[in-house]
Amino acid sequence: MLALETIPGVRAAADAAAIDGMVVAEGAVVLRFAPDEVFIMFPKPGRELNEGFAQAIIARETGFVGCWLTLEELAARVVAHIDWALPVERPALAQGLVAGVPAKLWLESGRALLLCAAPYAHELTERLR
Amino acid sequence: MNEFVETILALEWHKPKPAYDVVIIGGGGHGLATAYYLATRHGITNVAVLEANYIGSGNSGRNTTIIRANYGIPESIRFYQHSLELYGTLEDETGCWIMHSTKGLLWLAHTESAMRAERARCLLNQACGAETVMVTPEEARSICPQLDLSGGGRYPVLGASYHVGAATARHDRVVWAYAQGAMRKGVDVLQHTPVTGLLRDGERVVGVETPNGPISAGLVLSAVGGNVSTVAAMADVRLPIRTHPLQAFVTNAYALGFGPIISDTELFCYVSQTARGQMLMGAEFDPQPSYSLGSSYNFLQSCSAKVTHLLPFLRDLRILRQWTGICDISTDFSPIMGETGVPGFLVTTGWGTWGFKAIPAGGEQMAELIATGRTPAMLEPFRLDRFARELPMADQGSTGTR
Amino acid sequence: MQRADRHPAPALAGPGRIVVDGAPVPYQAGDSVAMALIRAGAHPGRGGTLCLAGDCGNCVAEVDGIAWIRTCQADCRPGLAVERHPARGGPPLHPVAQPDVTRPPVARRIPVRRVSVDLVVIGAGESGTAAAANARLRGRTVLLLDAREDAEVVAIYGGPTVIVRSSTGMTHVHAREVIVATGAAELHPVCPGNGLRGLLTGRAAELLHAAGIDLGVAVAVGEPPRDVPCTVVAGRLVRIEGTERVSAVVTATGEGLAAAEVRTPCETLILGLGRAPRDLLARMSTGEPVAVIGPAAESFPLPPAPTAGIVCPCAGIGVDDLEGVWQRGFQELELVKRASLAGTGTCQGSVCLPHVRAWVASKSGTVPEPFTARPASRQVTLAEAAADVHLDVFKRTPLHDEHLALGGRLDRFGGWWRPWTYGDHVAEYWAVREGVSLGDVSTLGKLIVSGPDVVELLERIYPNRVGNLGPGRSRYALLLNERGHVIDDGMICRETETRFVLTFTSGGAANAEMWLRDWIETWGLKVQVMDRTMSLAAINVTGPLAGQLLGRAGLADPPRYLAHAHAEVAGVPCHVMRLSFTGEASFELHHPVDRSVELWRTLLDLGRDLGIRPHGLRNLFGLRLEKGHVIVGMDTELDSTPHRLGMDWAVRMDKPEFLGRSALARTALLPDSRRLIGLTMTSPVPTEGSPIWSDGEIVGHVTSSFDSPLLGRAVMLGWLKRTPFPEAVEIDGRRATVTRPPFYDPEGLRARA
Repeated sequence: MLALETIPGVRAAADAAAIDGMVVAEGAVVLRFAPDEVFIMFPKPGRELNEGFAQAIIARETGFVGCWLTLEELAARVVAHIDWALPVERPALAQGLVAGVPAKLWLESGRALLLCAAPYAHELTERLR
Repeated sequence: MNEFVETILALEWHKPKPAYDVVIIGGGGHGLATAYYLATRHGITNVAVLEANYIGSGNSGRNTTIIRANYGIPESIRFYQHSLELYGTLEDETGCWIMHSTKGLLWLAHTESAMRAERARCLLNQACGAETVMVTPEEARSICPQLDLSGGGRYPVLGASYHVGAATARHDRVVWAYAQGAMRKGVDVLQHTPVTGLLRDGERVVGVETPNGPISAGLVLSAVGGNVSTVAAMADVRLPIRTHPLQAFVTNAYALGFGPIISDTELFCYVSQTARGQMLMGAEFDPQPSYSLGSSYNFLQSCSAKVTHLLPFLRDLRILRQWTGICDISTDFSPIMGETGVPGFLVTTGWGTWGFKAIPAGGEQMAELIATGRTPAMLEPFRLDRFARELPMADQGSTGTR
Repeated sequence: MQRADRHPAPALAGPGRIVVDGAPVPYQAGDSVAMALIRAGAHPGRGGTLCLAGDCGNCVAEVDGIAWIRTCQADCRPGLAVERHPARGGPPLHPVAQPDVTRPPVARRIPVRRVSVDLVVIGAGESGTAAAANARLRGRTVLLLDAREDAEVVAIYGGPTVIVRSSTGMTHVHAREVIVATGAAELHPVCPGNGLRGLLTGRAAELLHAAGIDLGVAVAVGEPPRDVPCTVVAGRLVRIEGTERVSAVVTATGEGLAAAEVRTPCETLILGLGRAPRDLLARMSTGEPVAVIGPAAESFPLPPAPTAGIVCPCAGIGVDDLEGVWQRGFQELELVKRASLAGTGTCQGSVCLPHVRAWVASKSGTVPEPFTARPASRQVTLAEAAADVHLDVFKRTPLHDEHLALGGRLDRFGGWWRPWTYGDHVAEYWAVREGVSLGDVSTLGKLIVSGPDVVELLERIYPNRVGNLGPGRSRYALLLNERGHVIDDGMICRETETRFVLTFTSGGAANAEMWLRDWIETWGLKVQVMDRTMSLAAINVTGPLAGQLLGRAGLADPPRYLAHAHAEVAGVPCHVMRLSFTGEASFELHHPVDRSVELWRTLLDLGRDLGIRPHGLRNLFGLRLEKGHVIVGMDTELDSTPHRLGMDWAVRMDKPEFLGRSALARTALLPDSRRLIGLTMTSPVPTEGSPIWSDGEIVGHVTSSFDSPLLGRAVMLGWLKRTPFPEAVEIDGRRATVTRPPFYDPEGLRARA
């Protein structure tokens, strides 16, 4: 069974242009949920977004749970439960239903992060069992 | 020959005339029933029913044939209960075999809020003359032994409302029974006669245009299903209606062994067995408005998943055929019947996913309106101007769809 | 798919034997079930011509517990259980034992593969194979599917998506293009005696002969089979004679007076009567990028119009039945089909359609178009259709397991699992009214809105004033649609000049977010939105001792009524909102979901000597009813304006503009016709939904009812829908008093305490 754990980060909602011009600490992973929304995972806790990020809503986010998967695990556990095509470029963020649960996949070249909102965690793990 | 070949009724086709007292657009159940009641109840026989394709080719021949009156507002309960009772005597009245069968309908509840809604339904049904009672899970199981009370481990049955009088009938045969009855009284049913425009005298509608030429009429009724917005637009009438596809499917035929109709407050699916033994299933309408009659695999998948949670024996049955109808859904999920504000032009529409069960009462009441010029009390709540008067007949929870 | 649960392998079975109707039947390697039966001298079905190509329904039987399997398409394996369909009535509906709910449903165990290719070619015959090879040469990815190689195409849907069934699971193929190369099917004979056994199409005879099956005395009519020893009889088919099995065939040559009939005895009759396009898939796929090639696209000549015999073997319809319904006025193909049921059986008209079309043409003088083709072409079970399908997701709050541990009974409400009661609902009630209680309100919708135009947005969205709300203050608000109908409600909490937190009902949160985003875009406002519904949990601390409990948890200076503040409670960062739904002093603690269990447990610990206990939804609904608070969706209807709800106070018509304002201005001129009212009566409490009567007529119904422990009588909300609104009403045959809520603490002193 997949063990989904809280994936802490910072979530920001801002003007799309402001997000385009956003500068984040090196090593941070930026997941663009929407043109006006990002989720940023920092390599070390306590890092924050740079200043000058006008009219943004910035919030510490602990509402997502997920787990990192090897490519083999991704293929074996997850891909069979999606009926959309995975993007081919890397890295890439894909969002859609995984086993009928709203979820997100962050695809790097050698691994992938499966994410979902905490209230869905139980159903997602059950369905991917 | 099998026992389901039509061997009783006969249809008599007539040549079109240039003018009629009443022209009804749409040769489905509602149009033909209106013509039938005009002819049999009011002696009005100079009537034509114009059908763009063949009679019953629209939603009258595409529905899941369920007749029930377990609605949630008094006006609807009384109307559909009247329809249910007319259905019960239709075979005697017409001498036709519509394969009417009273089966009872279980409407399953899986949550406290659904139980609350079903308890309310039972109380109001009883107060308005429809027989609906709450049953325990065990009672539901005795009515339908195939029921999995755990709902596949996901939708446990907390209880159900049981609508004792619910029935089914063969949809095509209902259409034909009304057609034969109307034809015998002299009503002309003109197939393959689409209406391409309306004849106007000032504001008044005085007839229809067809590819075979104009037909004048003292009064025009649109009993169209699926394309009513187009027909109403010809009369400059705007209707608060959107059109959505609704899909259904049947399995092959099996030995008879499934008595009731099973429906669900949460999964919005319904299951019954036809007289031929096919398991007939449907679900809610497609969320995207469309005039498409195309089928989708998503529907087959989700409907199969839903019904097999409740009735696991269905899982090994093979699916024969899937089809689609298109439903006119009004903003309050209730029908719209009667005057439109345009003289000479009436509608019976907004039949959504619930038109089949309403054919007898809808036809009878529309005929009375046409014959007397007065809106019968039973139709009064369903007039088009209710929306402007802020008196919608909101009852979405009773439609078995969302 | 192995299906051993219903038919455990009987002892009779062994290598090389299947079990048919309980008796062993040997087979040889490569035999289909139909071939094994024919090899044993039996007919796999009830009679009629066999095509052994999957086209007709004459060989269907129950195989491995699944009925309506074309046995010519089912491979033999040792012990395979075959039950022939009964001669009359359909195959039985098997009961299924209660499934094991601890295991995933059976449909979940049928694998589903999803494939994307440039081209799907259906049919690996000559034309299909060539088309596939051609496309591959041009560098395209191609999937070549053939039913004979365990890849049955169920249907072609929009996309195009091709659904494929095989013995190992389902495949959903997304293709840019589809080529249908399904070939042609052999015509069946329609003449007297065509329901007998011993009738084969030419290809079926070739197949059986090649498999070493002795056909006995074989006679061929029409185009003879290749390499099958038989007597070829000239002339056209007139009738087939025999009792159960064919004993002779009668053919005729010449026309009219010169016609001469010849009777030829035989044990097997082989029929080469021509072909018809196997075009069910092609016909159901109009409008898609679907091409039809080869024989499937050819227009073969129709057979001569039949004059007698079974025309539709699936439904058992004879030519006389067609004649009968025609005489009754059913005079076009679709009506003939519906009145006779010809073409509605398991082969979907594959056998009868050419004959029925020819027959209708002979009556009407015009060859009709084929009737509509619909899925499924090759059939799937419901389990196969449902394979890997997941229904709605049920959301869990972070306190889910806490509720269970406390004995809570969980119920789904608004898409979430929520505690209904923890067992002693009377004690839960008194904890709120007299002590302190916790409620899990994590499911509330929570949006942050921020930006220079945020006040303008909210003034236009909400019917009450927003701009005069100071930072740190909050206000209850209705959400209206353009028609002035209440669609949701919640709190508006101002954080700064340009930032607000909005709450919505649990079930309405997703719609509310879309509603706001749509209007922000429509109005072109500079406002950012962040949905925090699933990021933040919320615990409602409610009761006269709530402040005391929060003091123990370190919140020395809790917000005043309708104020809100960010503060730590028991070490957990919270957004504390002071409001009241229960009627008592209430503090909603909104906090990160990952800290929720910790906060919940700490508060329960700290409140132990105060008699703290959590309350479930059942009590919440009653507590708020004593206060007369409506629940949107329970007490409101689709057309509920604030006026009808008695909530004019929540609308400021002096605002120049807000959603629904013009509709409210218009409907204010209409006579009052529906009104939500308060009702009280003596116990017992009427069921929610009970009709309200006046003078023997139904004038409305109860929306919510509660047997108030504190007031010792039933309190209710209900609709009156008959004007003039009656003052004397009855419910359950007893007098009820129409009143104005709230029923409890009308001055709201306790909420402010």
